[in-house]
Amino acid sequence: MLRTNLKILFTVAMTLAVFTFIANVIPQVQSAVPEEIEIRADMTPDELVGIGETLYFGVGGCTACHGLGTRAPDILGVAGTVCATRNAGQSCKEYLWESLVSPVSYIVEGFQPIMLDQSRLMSQAELWTLVAFLEAQGGEVTVGPDDFASAAAADEAALAAAAEPPPTDPSAVDVMGILNVHCLACHAYGGQGAMVGPPLEELTGRSYEEIERGILEPNADTAAGYEPFAGVMPTYYGDQLAPAELEALIQFLMEGGAPGGSTDGSVGDDAPPGEDRP
Amino acid sequence: MNSKLSAISRHGWIAWGAAAVGFLAAAPALAQQFTGPEYGEFALFGLDRRGAVWIAAQLHLLFAAFVLGVPMFAVVIEAIGMFGGDQRYDKLAKEFTRLLLVAYSATAIWGAILVFFLSTLYPNFWSYLTGIFAPSMWLYAGLFFFESFTLYLYYYGWDAWKKGIAKKFHWGLGIMLNVWGTAVMFIANGWLTYMMSPPEGVTAETAPPQIELWSAINNATWMPINIHRLLANVVFGGAIVGAYAAYRFLTSKTDDERAHYDWMGYTGNFIAIGALIVLPFAGYWLGREIYEFSQTMGITMMGGFMSWLWIIQAFLIGILFLAGNYYLWVGMGRIPGAERFQPYIKWMLLVLVLGVIVWATPNTMIASRDEIAAMGGTHHPFLGVLGVMSAKNTAVNLMILTTFLSFLMYRRANREPVVAWARAATMLQGLAFAVCALVVLAYGIWGYFVEAIVRIGFSVYQVLAVLVTILFVTALDVLMLRGARSRGTIRWGHMPPRSQYALLVLAVTFTWLMGLMGFARSGIRQHWHVYEVIRDTSEQAFTPALGPAATMISICVALFFGLVGMIFWLGGLSEKSADQPSGATAAGTG
Repeated sequence: MLRTNLKILFTVAMTLAVFTFIANVIPQVQSAVPEEIEIRADMTPDELVGIGETLYFGVGGCTACHGLGTRAPDILGVAGTVCATRNAGQSCKEYLWESLVSPVSYIVEGFQPIMLDQSRLMSQAELWTLVAFLEAQGGEVTVGPDDFASAAAADEAALAAAAEPPPTDPSAVDVMGILNVHCLACHAYGGQGAMVGPPLEELTGRSYEEIERGILEPNADTAAGYEPFAGVMPTYYGDQLAPAELEALIQFLMEGGAPGGSTDGSVGDDAPPGEDRP
Repeated sequence: MNSKLSAISRHGWIAWGAAAVGFLAAAPALAQQFTGPEYGEFALFGLDRRGAVWIAAQLHLLFAAFVLGVPMFAVVIEAIGMFGGDQRYDKLAKEFTRLLLVAYSATAIWGAILVFFLSTLYPNFWSYLTGIFAPSMWLYAGLFFFESFTLYLYYYGWDAWKKGIAKKFHWGLGIMLNVWGTAVMFIANGWLTYMMSPPEGVTAETAPPQIELWSAINNATWMPINIHRLLANVVFGGAIVGAYAAYRFLTSKTDDERAHYDWMGYTGNFIAIGALIVLPFAGYWLGREIYEFSQTMGITMMGGFMSWLWIIQAFLIGILFLAGNYYLWVGMGRIPGAERFQPYIKWMLLVLVLGVIVWATPNTMIASRDEIAAMGGTHHPFLGVLGVMSAKNTAVNLMILTTFLSFLMYRRANREPVVAWARAATMLQGLAFAVCALVVLAYGIWGYFVEAIVRIGFSVYQVLAVLVTILFVTALDVLMLRGARSRGTIRWGHMPPRSQYALLVLAVTFTWLMGLMGFARSGIRQHWHVYEVIRDTSEQAFTPALGPAATMISICVALFFGLVGMIFWLGGLSEKSADQPSGATAAGTG
């Protein structure tokens, strides 16, 4: 009896030991709590590189494409070397900055223009730390206090704009501002933007409900030719945009610009909100 | 001894139940007044506050799953005995129910410990939860009482109400036991799924009284979790009953006992594997709802830091399939006539092993630069092609089909159909298997040549093909084997001990898998108590990597089996003084 009980105990213990062992020998990835990052102009290059590295492997989401081989070039260890050779007359720092804020300006051969404008996702100060980190990949860090001085001013202006109460009148909405902040990272409009989603001009003539559904339930349908990017568009615009902003944006898109044919993004006083909505 | 144990069980249960219920009822009022620190301190046995709550919650859940799962099939087995007139099934159902009594006490004890830990270690968060869910907590407590007293009536009235209308009343009690238990689980699921997927519009600034109770309970993942847990409880209950039978078989002193527990082990395994086959469909639904609720949460779950978890899951499910089939194949050794199926077993083993290998092939994993270099790229140059969903869906569907074939062979082993169309029907069954396998394979290969959105749709066709085949072949088999000649009686009890160790491995693996999936479900909230609403600001807000999580899961499972072992031992003591040994013939032919 004792022998049998010991065998049973051994079976249970060994089974648990094998499972525990296997789970401990595979790559260990811990989900850390996102930290508040303080960036100051007087930081040393090493400190800047450290923050840039944290962003690169963390909330920046860079590794979702870079380093996987098929979506984007592997830039670790080489970015600081190749950056100065891409565009004649452009310094390494200038090229890396451009590759973050205007990634479609230069497409490495063999890859598609799928990268988002990172200035829509991160502050300018954060972007400069990323530049510092990328420069450090085989090159010299040249990012300095001057870069952060201008970045701080831009970030403060962005914060001040974000702190303003949302408009309640669609006619007062800056639609081009919405496009710049929310849409052009993935969609093209008026020759700007990216190609992750269909160009916004293609929405002209669609119904109000159709466009509204495309914004609020972006993954319900996928436009032909954009299947590889199905599910990429965030579903939070219903929360992020005020009702007046949503209404102005939809009206703008269904009419191919502002009512009356304007494409400057202002809806205009001559277009009462919702008047010609279905 | 029996009456003593019953009294211990009853008094322990009532005392702990009353304590928990009393606390639950008073907790909302207490919690509302609490203005102390956000988190309490815990530093015992090398555990911090999260570790303490983890163990209490996991053990409560494991015992709860057992006491919810077992009544489901106990009542079905009782019905088979009642309507079929075979008393063996009635005895088996009663034996299942006897295991519940002590397990109920353990469920209540760990539930009370969990509530005390939550209220003392996470007082502010507990206050928040009670602010929303207080009425449902009172209802929960009330239903818990109904459930426990229904169980007492069900078990202690078994012999008193065993004939005529009284037996039907008794069976009705079994059904009510399931109704109360299911309602209790659904309510508790509302609390935990609220933490995963709070209703739209709830923010950190939303005060609990402003949140409508029903919208908080009926959140995006509530019903998928309800269904998934219902099925998983049956799987788990079957596996633990199988382990109990294996333990009793291995420690039996007589052939009669061995015969009885062999039959019981077979029944437990049949229930566990049968319910396991449909569990993935509930899992798909849950996964889809998680994605629909939040793409970020879905990506975290499948492609983020948890991506390796699914490889471990594939490995565990592979063990379940292999151990479950192995048990059946070994069991065919005690069935006269089963020799004719032996030549096929090696091929079935090959399909299962290949299936496990394909299913466990990593794809798009989080890997460091060095690891990617060591692999020769993000995907293995040759095996990478097997890591995609087309190959994995094909593999798992063929594994399910193979397992069903094992059951079919087991069922057919000692029977010889007498109907004139038996040969044609058998050929039709074979054809159904072949067509199904071809459909599954064809969609699997086709999936490589279409876009992702189309490929996802293919998995539905593959699953449907397998389900339709299982239903069609089973229906044909039942009709064909009516009045079948016997090739000989199953020699219950004539099983090598290794088969019983397979049952033990199955039970441990099921339990560990539940712990792992619980970690996945809870871990995808990451550093949030309530996802994107209430942030975890404690020092344990990070989500641990798989290694430390696995160690915690193993500790929980070891504790669970230690306690279950004690319950089995108590069950044996109780039986010795209460029942006469069952006869060898009691096992029947299955």
